Amino acid sequence: MFAQFTRFARWCLLLLLCIPVLAGLVGVAFPALGYFPAIGANSFSFDIFKTLFSLDDIWQMVWLSLFTGVGSTLLAMASAFLLLASFYQSNWLNKIQGLLSPFLVFPHAAAAIALLFVFSPSGIFARIAAVGTNSAIPGAGDAFFPYDAFFPYDSGGLSVLLALSLKELPFIILMALSVMSQPLVKSKLSSYIKVGTALGYSPAAIFFKLVMPTVFTQIRLPILAVLVFATSNVEIPLILGGNSPSTLAVAIMHWFNHIDLSMRLLASSAAVLQVAVSGLALLLLLGVERIVIYAGRKRLAKGNRRFFDRLVQCAAYSTVALYVALIGAVVYSVLMYSIAKQWLYPDLLPQGTTLLHWRIALETLATPLSNSLLLGILVSTSALGLVLFTLESEQLKPAGVNADRAFSVSLFLPLLVPGVAFLYGLVWFQQLVLQDAVWFHTYIAHMVYVVPYVFLSMAVAYRKFDIRYAMVAQSLGKTPWQVFYHIKLPSLFSAIMVAWALGLAISFSQYLPTLLASGGTIATITTEAVASVSGSSTRLTAVFVIIQAIMPLVGFVIAWYLPAALVKTGSKVRTSEKKSRAVLHGA
Amino acid sequence: MNSGWQAKGQLSTNRPLCTPMQVFFFTCIVVLSVFALAQPAVGKTNDEAAGEKAPLVRFNAWGGSAQVNGYLQWVAEQVKNRFNIELQHVKLADTSDAVSRVLAEKASGNHNNGSVDLIWINGENFAAMKKHDLLSASWVGELDNFSLTNPDENPAVTTDFGEPTLGMEAPWGKASMVFYYRSAHLNTLGLMAPKTIEELLRFSQKSPGRFTYPVPSDYLGISFIKYAALGLNKDKRGLFYQPANDKALNAVLPSLWAYLDALHPTMWQQGKHMLRQASQLQRLVGTGELSMAFSFTAAEIPSAVTRFDLPDDVRTYVMQDGSLANVHFVGLTYNSKNKAAAKTVVNFLLSPQAQAKKQAVEVWGDDTVLDLESLSASDRALFVQDNIHPSALDKSQPTLLLAEPHSSWTDALREAWYERYGARY
Repeated sequence: MFAQFTRFARWCLLLLLCIPVLAGLVGVAFPALGYFPAIGANSFSFDIFKTLFSLDDIWQMVWLSLFTGVGSTLLAMASAFLLLASFYQSNWLNKIQGLLSPFLVFPHAAAAIALLFVFSPSGIFARIAAVGTNSAIPGAGDAFFPYDAFFPYDSGGLSVLLALSLKELPFIILMALSVMSQPLVKSKLSSYIKVGTALGYSPAAIFFKLVMPTVFTQIRLPILAVLVFATSNVEIPLILGGNSPSTLAVAIMHWFNHIDLSMRLLASSAAVLQVAVSGLALLLLLGVERIVIYAGRKRLAKGNRRFFDRLVQCAAYSTVALYVALIGAVVYSVLMYSIAKQWLYPDLLPQGTTLLHWRIALETLATPLSNSLLLGILVSTSALGLVLFTLESEQLKPAGVNADRAFSVSLFLPLLVPGVAFLYGLVWFQQLVLQDAVWFHTYIAHMVYVVPYVFLSMAVAYRKFDIRYAMVAQSLGKTPWQVFYHIKLPSLFSAIMVAWALGLAISFSQYLPTLLASGGTIATITTEAVASVSGSSTRLTAVFVIIQAIMPLVGFVIAWYLPAALVKTGSKVRTSEKKSRAVLHGA
Repeated sequence: MNSGWQAKGQLSTNRPLCTPMQVFFFTCIVVLSVFALAQPAVGKTNDEAAGEKAPLVRFNAWGGSAQVNGYLQWVAEQVKNRFNIELQHVKLADTSDAVSRVLAEKASGNHNNGSVDLIWINGENFAAMKKHDLLSASWVGELDNFSLTNPDENPAVTTDFGEPTLGMEAPWGKASMVFYYRSAHLNTLGLMAPKTIEELLRFSQKSPGRFTYPVPSDYLGISFIKYAALGLNKDKRGLFYQPANDKALNAVLPSLWAYLDALHPTMWQQGKHMLRQASQLQRLVGTGELSMAFSFTAAEIPSAVTRFDLPDDVRTYVMQDGSLANVHFVGLTYNSKNKAAAKTVVNFLLSPQAQAKKQAVEVWGDDTVLDLESLSASDRALFVQDNIHPSALDKSQPTLLLAEPHSSWTDALREAWYERYGARY
């Protein structure tokens, strides 16, 4: 009975992911092949692709997408593993996790704006550099922040690459920590660590030779999702990137929004190209992985007790320092801008404070706030339910290899197709059925984005759940439902809460899905915030950045502290266990 | 349940977590039921729109300006009180999002139940919507207040960038191009504000990185190109008021290219990166990264100063060699569900009260489209303003207005620009 129900949930999840994305893809593929009756294009041909590939900048755009996507993911992965290698056995790990978490839950648009606030030639770093000089004009004759400084808008894509990896690193660390805190992995790793230590390996060497190979295979899937997202992200290159040319994803959005409606055909074909680019990025990363494994295998057996210990330490500490400086600067400038009266360059303090901009923002926020919460909680909770039952069905009745592979692919579908493209197709499809059900459509559009992330975040923990507990329970005569409810859910509670909070954060941060699926009738905090970003008020934008950052944080605070708080009140026996928990567990 | 749990309790290290799990599920159920209850309440606005009570009109308008948003909020209160109409301002980051949506609705055969009722558009979006028949036609003449714009004498309210409106959109406001600068910066640099297009180049050469303009896909960007083209071809202005053709382009482009080739390397980011959206110009002047910029709404400058978005040393002026001027409109979509209510709203937008409120500097400061001569004396008095802000445009000075070129020039100039300087997305 329960087994059948979970299988039903699995099918629901599959259909939920496939139908909207495939409908969206059809809505993109047809125009890409020249069929779009609404503007009188009625014949199929490859001409659109010919036009696309004859554009001057197209290969440069493809290169930028690949470079920023792959580069940022590699950089983020490298720094994440360096951080873990230096701190995986220290109490600092909790602090670092706490430090990085704000970046994780920051929506991409807000993060990009925040970086612009601190790094631009009039930003807080430039102001600090200008202390003592009497230049009243930002950028003029300034050695550190000249008016053609590289940071925002460089045509090579470096600023986009840096911003993306700043955003990705916390996600990778969180994923790695959630794997490392699984009971089975944890006990395996701690015995590895003991053996390594006994043999005289340095902590960094133990991490890279023993811990990382175990952990990496478990988080490969989320990393690939991050990579696809990085190659097709729109907000960050739009806000921080150069535009001669921009990345492919930005160009696609531009073409979709072009006044000349026939540009949609070009946009659709570019969306198809984007799918190929993201695929190529995946292959590149897998290739890099192969090379690292090949090169690493020889080193592994050499018996070298150290692994660039000093270098690893230095890199890790400077990464942490960078994040501390950045977070401090971002918090300071965003808070100050949100309450500043006049704030002339190069003053470090505004000339006065006012709540005017908070008032302007809050006056309009009641409805968007309740819409965001309602959507977010509903989407995240139901996504979590579906995901848990799906994962359970996997364990109750493992699917065949082919079915499993098909499932993984369908899970990746929403992450593989750039939002602008497939959402436009989706809106077209939604117009055909149930025109008036805007909440339903918005809910579906959010689910498509939330479910994969909740699944990825949950699957790692779930699949590593020590199945022997379930076996023992079943051998004692418990039904699958009892095993699921009494054994698995309690053991996975903290992972479940993190997945739920992640779902909430992702739902909160959706801009295009909300706007397109609801036709703008459901205003959320994010749609309001992005509208304000296109406006001219730095101060109002700062207010929205703060509100956007606080909202998902609430979810994560619940996720981190609720299990811990409940555990504390519920049990005093566990204190002895605490120390060992602190070693590997993030919570 | 409990006895079963105890049997397994010895196996699980996480025994106490059972209760939190139940707490979590209970919370979820509560949340879900709250949503289930809230859903009908939220959906109601849509359902009611179909009935007689408080029809819903969705006004899709750019939402990036606090003044415009505040004004539309006032309009919503007014039409609610006066006509019992529910006016919802759908805040767009980009007007073409709404154009896309109407097009998608048309593509899928949704011909009477559209989600966009009114849309605030300018010439190019209008041309696109007109081309694809996305707007209702000939409804503007039905509005009582439309006659106050004196349409017979005033072709500006029935042509949108040279394109006849055919009653598809009602005039809403009027704008002309103004420039503004940071006087403190100019003092430090020892420069005067440029008064002509030629002086602007000399200004930028003397102080590199202090000026830029948005890419021509932006409304203000293409307006700057038009102003430059008109200003650099004073002897050939007649060409701009006829449909653009190769011969005319060949006559006017060389001077424009020579000018821009010289200007770009001196601009912000050395002209390699240009802004996508005009609103960011004001943001950059606010932070001091630019020393001068331009706008189509003179009144937004002083009101930005009072909101601290611009420093108080900002001054506004009009170029001596002319100021590009045009009218902006409100369109009614062909598939709007509530056309009657939407027309009532537009008629209210054209009333002297609403137009005077809009023109007030502290509200929005957008110039009225009404012909003040055809108003009664008491209505005309609504438009009188005193207390000029130091950053505001001095309207006592005579201004040479340059009419918008024929609409075909927009595309022609933009395409030529992109061909020469590469696509900027």
